[in-house]
Amino acid sequence: MDRIYSSREDNPALDTIVVWLYILLVLIGLISIYSSTSEVNQTFQFSLSSLAGRQLIWIGGAVFIILTIAFANVAIIDYFAYGFYGFAILLNIAVLFWGKEVAGAKSWFGIGGFGIQPCEFAKVATALAIAKYLGTYGIRFKGTRNVLITLSLFLFPMLLILAQNDTGSALVFLSFFLVLYREGLPGWILLSALWLMIIAIARIVMEATGISHIWTMSSLLSLTALIIYFGRRNKQLIFATLFIAALSALFSIVVGFAYTKILKGYQRDRIELVLGLKQDTRNMGYNLEQSRIAIGAGQLLGRGFLKGTQTKMGFVPAQHTDFIFCNICEEWGFIGVLVFFGLYFGLIFRLINLAERQYTAFGRVLGYGVVCILLFHITINIGMTIGIVPVIGIPLPFISFGGSSLWAFTLLLFLFLKVDEKRR
Amino acid sequence: MDLHQNRKFFYVGLLSLVAIVYLIKIFRLQILDDKYEQKAIKNALNKIPIYPDRSIIYDRNGKLLVQNIAIYDLVVFPAKAKGIDTVAFSEIMNISGEQYHKYMASATENSKKRQKNNVFNGSAVFMSNLSKQQYSAIQENLYRFPGFSVEPKTDRLYAVKGGAHVLGYLGEVSKKLLAKDPYYRPGDLVGITGIENTYEPYIRGTKGVKTVWQDRTYTERGEAKDNEFNSPAQAGPDFYSSIDFDLQEFGESLLANKRGSVVAIEPSTGEILALINKPDYDPNLLVGDARAKSFRELLIDPKKPLYNRAIKGVYPPGSTFKTVMALIGCQEGVLKPGTQHGCSGGYHLGSLTVGCHPHSSPTDLKGSIGISCNAYYCQVFRDIIDNPKYTNVKAGYAALEKHLHSFGLGAKLGVDLPGENKGNVPSIQQLDKRHGKSWKSSMIISLAIGQGEILLTPMQMANCAAIIANKGWYVKPHLLKGIGTSKYLPDDYTKKNYTSVNELYYDWIINGMEMVPKPGGTAFGTGINDIVICAKTGTAQNPHGQEHSLYIAFAPRENPKIAIAVIVENGGFGATWAAPIANLMIENYLKRGKEPQRPDMLERIKTSTVN
Repeated sequence: MDRIYSSREDNPALDTIVVWLYILLVLIGLISIYSSTSEVNQTFQFSLSSLAGRQLIWIGGAVFIILTIAFANVAIIDYFAYGFYGFAILLNIAVLFWGKEVAGAKSWFGIGGFGIQPCEFAKVATALAIAKYLGTYGIRFKGTRNVLITLSLFLFPMLLILAQNDTGSALVFLSFFLVLYREGLPGWILLSALWLMIIAIARIVMEATGISHIWTMSSLLSLTALIIYFGRRNKQLIFATLFIAALSALFSIVVGFAYTKILKGYQRDRIELVLGLKQDTRNMGYNLEQSRIAIGAGQLLGRGFLKGTQTKMGFVPAQHTDFIFCNICEEWGFIGVLVFFGLYFGLIFRLINLAERQYTAFGRVLGYGVVCILLFHITINIGMTIGIVPVIGIPLPFISFGGSSLWAFTLLLFLFLKVDEKRR
Repeated sequence: MDLHQNRKFFYVGLLSLVAIVYLIKIFRLQILDDKYEQKAIKNALNKIPIYPDRSIIYDRNGKLLVQNIAIYDLVVFPAKAKGIDTVAFSEIMNISGEQYHKYMASATENSKKRQKNNVFNGSAVFMSNLSKQQYSAIQENLYRFPGFSVEPKTDRLYAVKGGAHVLGYLGEVSKKLLAKDPYYRPGDLVGITGIENTYEPYIRGTKGVKTVWQDRTYTERGEAKDNEFNSPAQAGPDFYSSIDFDLQEFGESLLANKRGSVVAIEPSTGEILALINKPDYDPNLLVGDARAKSFRELLIDPKKPLYNRAIKGVYPPGSTFKTVMALIGCQEGVLKPGTQHGCSGGYHLGSLTVGCHPHSSPTDLKGSIGISCNAYYCQVFRDIIDNPKYTNVKAGYAALEKHLHSFGLGAKLGVDLPGENKGNVPSIQQLDKRHGKSWKSSMIISLAIGQGEILLTPMQMANCAAIIANKGWYVKPHLLKGIGTSKYLPDDYTKKNYTSVNELYYDWIINGMEMVPKPGGTAFGTGINDIVICAKTGTAQNPHGQEHSLYIAFAPRENPKIAIAVIVENGGFGATWAAPIANLMIENYLKRGKEPQRPDMLERIKTSTVN
């Protein structure tokens, strides 16, 4: 261990680029929260009890976290990784019993006037734990035991969070599959996932529109037959194809069952809306349309700070939390979006490079953990506001209102920066 | 140990893919599609109408007739009016639960329509014209009823009690007009009759718009300043009517307790000085919350107080028509001042007799008007249409008809009031139908003395008097003197319309008319000293009862200032009621501020009742 974390002070600071991007994004978030919770053209007024004021308090907490990490000994991170993970798991179990229910999800601890969402910290803890495990000397992502342990490290908290009925946050844990690809997860698994997604979507389209099953079944069959015909000399190919076809058919049946029997009406609505199978279903359609209007209304230069009526007056749902991207779009326009994307995707790009420059699997896995979690959040959150991903309630990191999310992402980011600072 | 370094590019690729796909989608929403900004504005901007003051109406002397008063509408946004305690609400507003649901249903319908039309964001009138009690009761309790608000509007406040048929009244805008003109909202007040109706587009002013921000729950979130939709309300410009209200009031007092109509016109301008109908109503009845109830009562009143006889009532002109017939006779060359016709108690032709009253015979043209000889005009009439210069009687009649049309008869005059009647000048087809295809002059002889199929409105009679006063032309009678500071008046109301009778002949007829209120004339005893009144009495047969008393006149002879027609229904001889009323009004107008010369006559007329 000491060999990895030498006390050489050749990287005496946290990565400046990332820190600056972080600061800018958090400030953009604060401004957007202020804007989306104020009146149109209101003169400046600020109080700590307002939502923007509370976010400022959260930011204060985040600064405290950053300073603590900056001055802590990096060995502590490695040392307490499993402990932190265990603690997070316990919290997520406890919340099932003693948590309070918000919007149908039992995932909050109320502390005074503030609430804490343990699932946010589970992401950090899981990223740390997987990094720690795969960073352990002699362990690689290979072999049944190692793979199973790695998978259960993130699938277990994922199940816990599903049990809390917070589907969105649970789905975030799927991003660890992406992390594992860097560590040697075979490409065909990701390809299979893609294939399964295609089958699932096809099946859902069928179920929703009432197209006969025969069409997909027969196209699947003829595709299989074609491959078998052209590859008739290759027995392995024939078996593989038949196997895949059988699995696909089975999966399709499972999806069909899950879609019609397990998913709730509003969940089906969300999926069908995004797939363009439904024009409008009362609230969901209205919300998506309002979100689109807010974004579209921004045009090139935006409607101006404090002038976005869509994102101030309740037309866009959750205008200061999950849908806060709409506020940026409406008030700052396409130019603002370009700047915002530049900062945001720039941050992730920088993090990929940081992850790649790690000398240890621990650092690299942690780095890709940050990258994949952030990318997943952004893809889902922004995709949802612009209407190409179903509405899944997860926050936009650093931007959305909320202490748990801000603290968790700050923790995640700066733990990695600290590891990066002390790499070698 | 790191076997998968190349996989870095997978992440960079994925990152780029998401960024590019999302940017393209956002580019489409923000740049390629420009409908969203309008949608956002429509969502959040509520345009609230600001009601302008209607024009203040003055008479020709600047006397204030009509002004404005603020009234209040109860407006509701149905989508937001949820969980209303209807029992408490109905109690406060003093309406029944049934009415509540009826009002709400109609407001909901209107609100939906408005939202569909994209005009304003859908609040609709729940109840208009709140009473004082309702207004103060609801003001105190508005907080209990989300979605409801009170909007100010203007209603009329009358400074006078008369002139109802001139001024007209306001009423709630009809569904038909709502469908036609998007300017109006349900519950708006518009001019229903009178000059309020004719000049509605001027008088109503221009509504302003106040925009406010409103959120998804339709709650107001502050005034939206500096946008293109905001505009102040513009009050209607001052409206000057041609009415001389003192004359109007005086005339109304003379016609009190009688049934009939008076129209007085300034001949040189066509300006209507007075337009009186009896029975009539007090315009103050048709304002505020009592409007609907009063209107229903007036509508079913058997005395028909809403009926504007002056322009809608048609009467046979009787002997007053002889003036016009004489003029046409002169123009047709069958009549000269010296033309004499005898009268033996009437006009006799075969078995036909048109009766006449006893008088010296024969008479010349002047005398025939002064003493109103029926036989004389039967002969003149036959001379006109049986004139050998025409191939047959129908050609002769066609010539007569043309002359009559040039006097503005048989067609709407174009008075600036809605619902004018055109009266009747029988066409040849009409006569064919009535008398068979081969009629003769003798069969339609009653037209000679203003009986039979010929019908005039009091307005047309007064206009005939004005034509004679002008010696051959008239300006369309109108109630507008000028709108706004520029005193705008449409060209139509300054244009002279000439009759087909030459100017030269008028003096011949006027000579006879001057005789009428003098010794030997039919209206002797009703005249006014030192005013030369040129007049003609008439007594129109009325198949439904007692004859109508008629009188047309103008004065003074030189440079006439007033032309007048009076009809008193069932009043008998023209000299009995119509003549004194007209002459007293002429005196009132020309000798304003002087002691009346005939206090006895004035008193008798004012206090008499004619049924």
